[in-house]
Amino acid sequence: MEIDNDVAMQDAAEEPLDPTLDEDAGTEHQDGVQTREGPGSSGIADHKASKPLQLDDGNIGQLDRWIEHLGSCQVLSEEDVGRLCKMAVDVLQFESNVQPVNVPVTICGDVHGQFHDLMELFKIGGPCPDTNYLFMGDYVDRGYYSVETVSYLVAMKVRYPKRITILRGNHESRQITQVYGFYDECLRKYGSANVWKMFTDLFDYFPITALVDNKVFCLHGGLSPMIETVDQVRELNRIQEVPHEGPMCDLLWSDPDDRGGWGISPRGAGFTFGQDISEQFNHTNDLSLIARAHQLVMEGYAWSHQQSVVTIFSAPNYCYRCGNQAAIMEFDENHNRQFLQYDPSMRPGEPTVSRKTPDYFL
Amino acid sequence: MSGDKDQAQPGINSEALKNKDQLVVNSSNNVNSSDEELYPLALLMDELKHDDIGNRVEAMKKLDTIALALGPQRSRDELVPFLTEVAQDDEDEVFTVLAEQLGKFVPFIGGSKFATLLLPALEILASTEETLVREKAVESLNHVAQELSEDQLFHDFIPLIEHLATADWFSSKVSSCGLFKSVLARVKDDKFRKELLALYLQLIQDDTPMVRRAAGKNLPVLIDLLTQNPDLSTTDDWDYISNMFQKIIGDAQDSVKFLAVDVLISILMFFNKKEDITHSKDLLRSAIQLITDESWRVRYMAAERFEDLASQFESNPQYIEELSGPFLSLCEDNESDVRKGVAKQLPGFAKLLNNPQVVLKKVLPAVQNLSMDESELVRASLASEITNLAPLVPKQDAIDSLIPILLNMLKDEYPDVRLNIIAKLKVVNEVVGIDLLSESLLPAITELAKDVNWRVRMAIIDYVPLLAEQLGVEFFDQQLGDLCLSWLWDTVYSIRSAAVVTLQSLTKIFGSEWSSEKIISRLLKSDSQLLENFVYRITLLSALTELVPVVSVDVTTQKILPFINHLADDAVPNIRFNVAKSYVEVVKSLGPNKSQYKDLINKSIITSLERLRDDDDMDVRYFSTQSLKQCEAILT
Repeated sequence: MEIDNDVAMQDAAEEPLDPTLDEDAGTEHQDGVQTREGPGSSGIADHKASKPLQLDDGNIGQLDRWIEHLGSCQVLSEEDVGRLCKMAVDVLQFESNVQPVNVPVTICGDVHGQFHDLMELFKIGGPCPDTNYLFMGDYVDRGYYSVETVSYLVAMKVRYPKRITILRGNHESRQITQVYGFYDECLRKYGSANVWKMFTDLFDYFPITALVDNKVFCLHGGLSPMIETVDQVRELNRIQEVPHEGPMCDLLWSDPDDRGGWGISPRGAGFTFGQDISEQFNHTNDLSLIARAHQLVMEGYAWSHQQSVVTIFSAPNYCYRCGNQAAIMEFDENHNRQFLQYDPSMRPGEPTVSRKTPDYFL
Repeated sequence: MSGDKDQAQPGINSEALKNKDQLVVNSSNNVNSSDEELYPLALLMDELKHDDIGNRVEAMKKLDTIALALGPQRSRDELVPFLTEVAQDDEDEVFTVLAEQLGKFVPFIGGSKFATLLLPALEILASTEETLVREKAVESLNHVAQELSEDQLFHDFIPLIEHLATADWFSSKVSSCGLFKSVLARVKDDKFRKELLALYLQLIQDDTPMVRRAAGKNLPVLIDLLTQNPDLSTTDDWDYISNMFQKIIGDAQDSVKFLAVDVLISILMFFNKKEDITHSKDLLRSAIQLITDESWRVRYMAAERFEDLASQFESNPQYIEELSGPFLSLCEDNESDVRKGVAKQLPGFAKLLNNPQVVLKKVLPAVQNLSMDESELVRASLASEITNLAPLVPKQDAIDSLIPILLNMLKDEYPDVRLNIIAKLKVVNEVVGIDLLSESLLPAITELAKDVNWRVRMAIIDYVPLLAEQLGVEFFDQQLGDLCLSWLWDTVYSIRSAAVVTLQSLTKIFGSEWSSEKIISRLLKSDSQLLENFVYRITLLSALTELVPVVSVDVTTQKILPFINHLADDAVPNIRFNVAKSYVEVVKSLGPNKSQYKDLINKSIITSLERLRDDDDMDVRYFSTQSLKQCEAILT
């Protein structure tokens, strides 16, 4: 199965790294000046702990209540988001750039704010914490429920740090979220950009890659010409906004390609890499597979480079109109892989009469 | 979090107390979230005037708290006038909440004596443009009207209806249509009632379709009120109603005209209750006119309500027969929505026909056609009721004519059609017997059970307990047992989890001994290769745990507990913390005989949990600590 290049290209074309904002976008949000303040202005990382967050009965009860609330697709209050993000910083800052993950684990791709489809994902793969999950980024933008989606996943991460791993995608960035919906959604749902600031400050702490049982290298985008070994990833300083170029940018932006070697990416960031590159990387690092997300694939998953690389995409009917299936990959303790495909969740309240004259028309 | 709150609150309180009256609302009796604790009144009043609409909405939701704190006197003198002002100048979101709150406000202002004070604000809200606000206001007005005395009704409420009904703008008139039901039956004076009906007739012939639609929609309720008080209405009243019906059935807008169907049903119900058949013939003609109307929406409505409508003519078999022609034409309607509506009515109408020969000759051919309809929605609709035809024809005819149709529908490509048939098989089973049924049924079930769409598989699983009950244990063991166990190994979690629940339901139906022999023993012999995958180990654990509450204690201790113990050392932490949770279920079921099983509980369960409490994995430690606490609570 080949990646559907047409659709992926369209996705790429719509998504330049350096979006030129509308001239009046700044004036439209009067508080825009304030929101464009530098990273860290939300203050969620002002008092970082020196050791990982310890869960006790108090904060477990709090987290369980938040998770239940978020599970019904309702947002937390701004104050609670602040508390949650502070706790999350004290979990995520201690994770590695190459976060080790144990088997069995279920590996998932882009979610993009499609909250109901994320709930569908758990219906297919099983609830967390009973099932272990690894998400490879892009939780926000495009879908209508980015706030709920990212709040839910972060709350799960804080509550069950050993059961769920959340990597950073190219959309977990200040710049991209201002163009593709998350910023506007925060403004709409909270009346200010504070929640957006807190989450984007938190995104800087997300690990950028994961290594499942030392055999499967997981990341959002793909490889970088500046990275030959997994150890080199470990040496990066990841606590920053996603840069416009360089190894960290490439890991979140690159795509596999049919052409060999390195190529220029139509996305304007990252590179395309060929089968030779993937095979070399897997050989050098003693890996069996690179699992990544980042591209829309119609079946929900797609092999490339003769099964050196797999693309997993977990947003069914992407943008509510692409008509694609979604998939997740179960990777069991004996390293067997099983792909589970699924369709969009059913939404209640669909009209039963197929043709209805709208009332205003009468 | 609660720590911060408690600190902050007294500060605000003391501030507020200095400036305002010493009222602090303790809403602990209706607390549902912690931030409602000790909310100072002054703050709430300020919130009602807050710049941010979100704050105003939230404050409005706590209006009952404010009123309770103010007491009836001040609520009347200060709060209600304030709210009447708010009702004229705020946003729709605030209005919606206000309109809803005012409906529950009578107790807060000192009881029904003062209830009319609420009417001005509600009248304003009932005149707004936003439909949602108006609907809430009308609902609340009707609530308040119930509390009013006859005097208040005449002096305040009926004038309010008149205001609204004669206002310039359509929105007020639409609201007025919903209010007549609160007064009509309470007006004993014939003259006043006639005036009300005259006013209503004006609304029925209003210039704007929105008003006519609202009036038409509320008319059946008014007629039903007269039916409930059969001696109330006069011939004059009925002249008005008949006039209204004629206006609706002759309306140029089909969105008004289709409301005539429900009006007609209500009118027929009145005359049937009075046992007055003088108008039957005319009304039958109206019914046929609606059924054969040129607008599909009218026909759709007639089709949807066909059984209700036809049953009003039940006392006269000749009328029923006259309806059969129009009925069959609905079955062949060009519009699939009409056919969908009427497909559900087939058994109901067949029953009214009360003649097996007519059913065979006329209705079954229509069923045959609809079962092959091009629209899957029509077929699914037919499938949902069709089995009820079985008892209406002689057994042999059912076998010869109906069963083949059902079998074909069981093979329908659209899963809903198949599922709808299966859901209602019991009645067919009673007529034709299990042997004949099973022969044709099983292939359909097996196929659905393997459908690629997991929701179809899910729906079949949900029906299994129902089928098991209908078909009996012997049939189940032979034909469905394997299938049920196979769902435990489905790739989709929801299917596995539904299968687990189904095993519990089946155990409740067939008993502990059956479960032990046919389910548990087989589960414990599961393929060891399969169990190398943690997904299946955790499923098996959850299946056996789910059975603990419904099997005998012996089965639990001898078969299930050893398996749980064996998984306590599993390499996967997710299994280990689920083992910790399972132990609680076991202890719960042993609880009533805890002295007898003291040794077992202490040596095997508690020891194992204590070991898990020191596990390397934090989640295993957490859940086993929780389980130990729960066990302790059960055992002491």
